Amino acid sequence: MIAVDAHAAATPGVARGARRQIKISAESLMEIATFLARRWSENDSMTVQIPERMSETKTRLSDNLIVIAPPGRRTGDGFQRYRQFRTALWYESTRALHCTKILSNDHAFGFILNAMETCRIEHMGRKVWRGMDDEIVMYHAHMLVERPQLHEVYGRARIVEAFYQQLLFGAVKGELQASHAERVARAAEFARGVISEAVSGGRGTDWVEGHTSRIIKMLDIDSLMTIPVSLPFMRAGMALDEKEMLKVLKVVLQHDKRSGLAENARDASSILRGSEDIHGEYTMLLEENQRAENKGLASEPIGIQTPAGAEGADESAIYDAALINGLKAKFKEWKSGWSETHVASAGEEFDGESYIEGHDPFVTDVKKSIKTRITILLDHSSSIASDAREYKKATLALCEVLSFLRVSFSVYAFSTQERSVVCWSIKPEAAKWNTSAAKRLARIVANGSTPLAEVYDKMYPILQARRPDIFLTLTDGEPSDPDAVREMITGLKGLGTGMVALGLGPNITRATAIASNLRRLGYERTVAVSRLADIPNKVMGILEA
Amino acid sequence: MAPPYLDWNGSLEILRNAYESGLFVLVIGPKGTGKTSLVREFARITGERTGRENGGLESINFSLRTRESHLVGSKTLSGGDIAFEEGILVRSMRNGGMLYLDEINAAEADVLLRLDEALDDRRQLVLKESSAMEIVRADASWFVVATINPLTHSGTKELPPQLLSRFPVRIKLEYPPEDVEIEIVRAHLGDGPGGAGRGEDIVQAVKLANTLRQAAAVEELFYSPSIRETIAYAKLLGRGVPARKAADWVFGNVYAQWGQIEHQKVSDVITSMFGEREQA
Repeated sequence: MIAVDAHAAATPGVARGARRQIKISAESLMEIATFLARRWSENDSMTVQIPERMSETKTRLSDNLIVIAPPGRRTGDGFQRYRQFRTALWYESTRALHCTKILSNDHAFGFILNAMETCRIEHMGRKVWRGMDDEIVMYHAHMLVERPQLHEVYGRARIVEAFYQQLLFGAVKGELQASHAERVARAAEFARGVISEAVSGGRGTDWVEGHTSRIIKMLDIDSLMTIPVSLPFMRAGMALDEKEMLKVLKVVLQHDKRSGLAENARDASSILRGSEDIHGEYTMLLEENQRAENKGLASEPIGIQTPAGAEGADESAIYDAALINGLKAKFKEWKSGWSETHVASAGEEFDGESYIEGHDPFVTDVKKSIKTRITILLDHSSSIASDAREYKKATLALCEVLSFLRVSFSVYAFSTQERSVVCWSIKPEAAKWNTSAAKRLARIVANGSTPLAEVYDKMYPILQARRPDIFLTLTDGEPSDPDAVREMITGLKGLGTGMVALGLGPNITRATAIASNLRRLGYERTVAVSRLADIPNKVMGILEA
Repeated sequence: MAPPYLDWNGSLEILRNAYESGLFVLVIGPKGTGKTSLVREFARITGERTGRENGGLESINFSLRTRESHLVGSKTLSGGDIAFEEGILVRSMRNGGMLYLDEINAAEADVLLRLDEALDDRRQLVLKESSAMEIVRADASWFVVATINPLTHSGTKELPPQLLSRFPVRIKLEYPPEDVEIEIVRAHLGDGPGGAGRGEDIVQAVKLANTLRQAAAVEELFYSPSIRETIAYAKLLGRGVPARKAADWVFGNVYAQWGQIEHQKVSDVITSMFGEREQA
């Protein structure tokens, strides 16, 4: 959960009625943030991390990763915080699209280059995303509020800060020595010229970087000078009231209009109020959270955990679109619920009425198999580690197909962490299969042995409560505790659940050996698989039966 | 008048060569890539050259419900006499000209088998249905073009290999590059009240469609908009509908069927492109 406390008393835009204590579920926020980041950055492998304790935003181009501070770390009420979060995400996605390097903000050179790049990407980004104008202006206002007063910054870093404020907002907070002010104004003017030439001439980061030294010279500072505080400051909850915010907004709006960033922007009070559409999105996230609360993701019974830090996992690495599409095409008849049989011999006109007499119905309803509720347990012991990626690809494809066919299913996995076996919840039955679930699967590290009975014991409360029709265990080895497993299986069968095991082996012989050994443990059905890509087909075969 | 067809990938040239060599053509491409428009344009051009109206184009759209009798014909009772009414295939073979078989891989196998017989090199069909067991031989100018959707589309089946080989010339149609699509779509803006000065909105819509197609290609969305949709958008703009509204109607609202989050995702992309929805 990412907390977004409503600080309604000191909040601009309170008319939105967001005074309630609200929490956005990390899951839905992550899903929408990942989707938007991928569209805005035009990069389908972009991943987003929203660490709860982070108040800085970082983008790692080489890793296709955006690490962004959660809404809770921003200022204003819930909706205003969400707006800032969304716009910050847009900035970072656009940065990932248009920048070839991002330097550290800790030294003057990097700080100035990044500031210029921020200006450049605003112009580049809004060529396509013209609807962002209001949000850019609003974000500038928040940024300006968060910047320090110049008298709070000591030494020559004050000049750099003044340059930053002058360049981005066309104004500085506080006073500056006259000679410095002149230098800053000149350098900012020059920087604007560079940016405008870069935008119109389609030039990139390297070209802008080439002009940064000139700015350093104009400001008369050392390029490696340390920028002492990591800026911007994030002071959660310290927001201005509506009137003061409006004042800041008007200053920023004027500057943005001059620099061509606010052509499509509305008036200051409309900007402050925010867009109905984004508010709708925010409300939807809140509602989605309420819905998700009872779906088992937040409060699994003791013994089962949700993989931590899964939000940042890159699920696109285990996403095999060809395999998934192939399976969907193969099983699409299941979705329609009707199966076609070709009965007429070639060239004959088919006469339905005469055929029905003396024949079985020629249309078979297969919906009954789709109604089967299945729980899948994936082995993530160390023996699978060498093929972990292929294994995850196959199991992810399986989940995609089950979700495509609207089968009611839940997925768990087990591995060993810190010497004790952990049962992970990938997808509880009531939750939807989505990228977040895929991220949880991607996150699990294969490790440890196969203590099946212990895992079954941890899952028992869930199985007892949900009573799935089929409980399928995918394992690549014999359990380390066979007698206990036999006992557990007998108990689980007593719940009316069909116990099925799928033995994975490196070749047919080994897979068959594992499967036949598993059968002795009391499973009602065991199936052997030697090629990982066959897993989805085999599981579908079990469902069909 | 319909806007002129833009042959951006030289498909008309392929069709012309195939036509002159007497080879049948299969056009493969996802929905809304302009397969039908291509065939209609070729028929028009052929018609102009041969002096025959629309190149003698006959067309049939295949589905699970298409029966052999629709192709070959069936016996009917007229004025107390049993007569044989010829189907579209027989009629087209006799008359020559073009036969357009749309979405041929949506049909049942038995229907396709009968088609196979006619498309054979002998270009003839034994009319078992008529009492005379007549052999219909195709006119020398007979030309067949079929289209299929990729197998991932629902309701499609793999085309039997023998039938596939009857169409030795294959055209692969994809969504055109952005600039071409913009040009195609712009032509549909029309002379209506809202047409003037909406070029930028068209560019945005095509970008939006491409963004959504990209997301659908990596399975992040369940549906990918086609050129048909971008054209529909242009037509609405031409009627004076505001850009944002048209984007919602054509591109956004369809995702509501997959739940609120799906709809909201796309809605956000639309908002960041077109800005705030105008309030009533």
